[in-house]
Amino acid sequence: MVKINFRAVEQRFYGRQIFGPLDCTLSGGRIMAVTGKNGSGKSTFLKLAGHLLPPSQGKITVVSDGRELRGEELRRHLAMVTPEMRFYDRLTARENMDFLLGMRGITLDNAVYGELLGRVGLDEQAVCHSYAGDFSTGMKQRLKMAVLLAARADIWLLDEPGANLDEAGRQMTAREVRAAADKGVLVVLATNEPGEEALADERIALAGH
Amino acid sequence: MNVSLWQGIKRMFCKEFVLGLRFKAAWAAMFMFALTTLACVSLALQGGQMEPRLAAALLWVIVFFASMAGADRGFADEDTAGTLLILKLYGGAQPVLLGKMLYSFFLLLVLAVFIVLLFLVLIGVEPVFWGVFILTLVFGVAGIAAAGTLLAALATGARVKNGLFSVLMLPVILPVFLPAVYLTAGALGGSDTALNYLGGMALYDGLLIVGASVLFDYLWYED
Repeated sequence: MVKINFRAVEQRFYGRQIFGPLDCTLSGGRIMAVTGKNGSGKSTFLKLAGHLLPPSQGKITVVSDGRELRGEELRRHLAMVTPEMRFYDRLTARENMDFLLGMRGITLDNAVYGELLGRVGLDEQAVCHSYAGDFSTGMKQRLKMAVLLAARADIWLLDEPGANLDEAGRQMTAREVRAAADKGVLVVLATNEPGEEALADERIALAGH
Repeated sequence: MNVSLWQGIKRMFCKEFVLGLRFKAAWAAMFMFALTTLACVSLALQGGQMEPRLAAALLWVIVFFASMAGADRGFADEDTAGTLLILKLYGGAQPVLLGKMLYSFFLLLVLAVFIVLLFLVLIGVEPVFWGVFILTLVFGVAGIAAAGTLLAALATGARVKNGLFSVLMLPVILPVFLPAVYLTAGALGGSDTALNYLGGMALYDGLLIVGASVLFDYLWYED
């Protein structure tokens, strides 16, 4: 079971205190919602949790089965959906997925690819001849969900995963997040959406400074 | 689920190659620079002969600056397009670095062949020692590709980007550039060439690749 421990973590940008000192433990199989007003550091919290950003102070450890994960090994446990994440505009959905997942040694056959697109509500025929750059924002968000599902990661860092999605898309996201947590995935959800907050088992409210 | 290093490098190379074909800005910038420079020099010479040392220096100046028009794009393009985060998330440090380096080497080699063919036709020089000439070209281009890829990664991570790549590139590439000019002059003029310079270039290229490989892990993983 994977755990992320924050110990006396503080974050500052250019001398401005964003949050902290913060102590908390995130556990696999649980959904943690991180809430707070704009600029309170929700997205930063996710990056810190995934070691994609070093903290200004304090220590964050990611432990799986009693062993600390770092570097490449840790990255293999991570999957993320965030507005900052972009696909390669001049590659198709399939090419993007083949490249990104292939870099982790995951190959998608046609059946799995079709099933993934179905799960996230993307029409295979509609996306097969288009570059990802031509997708609508909602379609891109669904594609991010498809990559997340295919990555077989046990830490999901989700920054407003329902953003730009219609009601069916938000329901799909909620369903997949709950199902992943039930399978033992550690889910961190940065959000201010009441519907997404309601999914959470625990909550951290960042006050902002 | 583990991907072998070679498989990762191959995927990275193929991705760069496909994107390069679909978005030709880097190719166009480099080839147009080379073509324009060579056309200007050829017109200025008006059929006159050029001394081998001057011809060698001119050839490497064109190769170097033409590569600068595109070689630093590897990571800058990812940064500009916003794809650096997703690449960091899914790509391991070594496959990303070495895949980009291999693509840069391939791109610069194609560019160098294009420049050399035009150079030989327009400037009217012909190598006496073809073997030395070709090996110098390969080792020189490999050095530019290795140094360019690493420094592009460093410059992308830095907060101050303007001019950083060019400033860092000059001292790093001089140990490749100077023997390359010397050996090319020898190969063009038929004079004695110190072949141990070739060994030195190959060794420095190797050091650049190993150094880049070691340093890049620290850039790629924040812990």
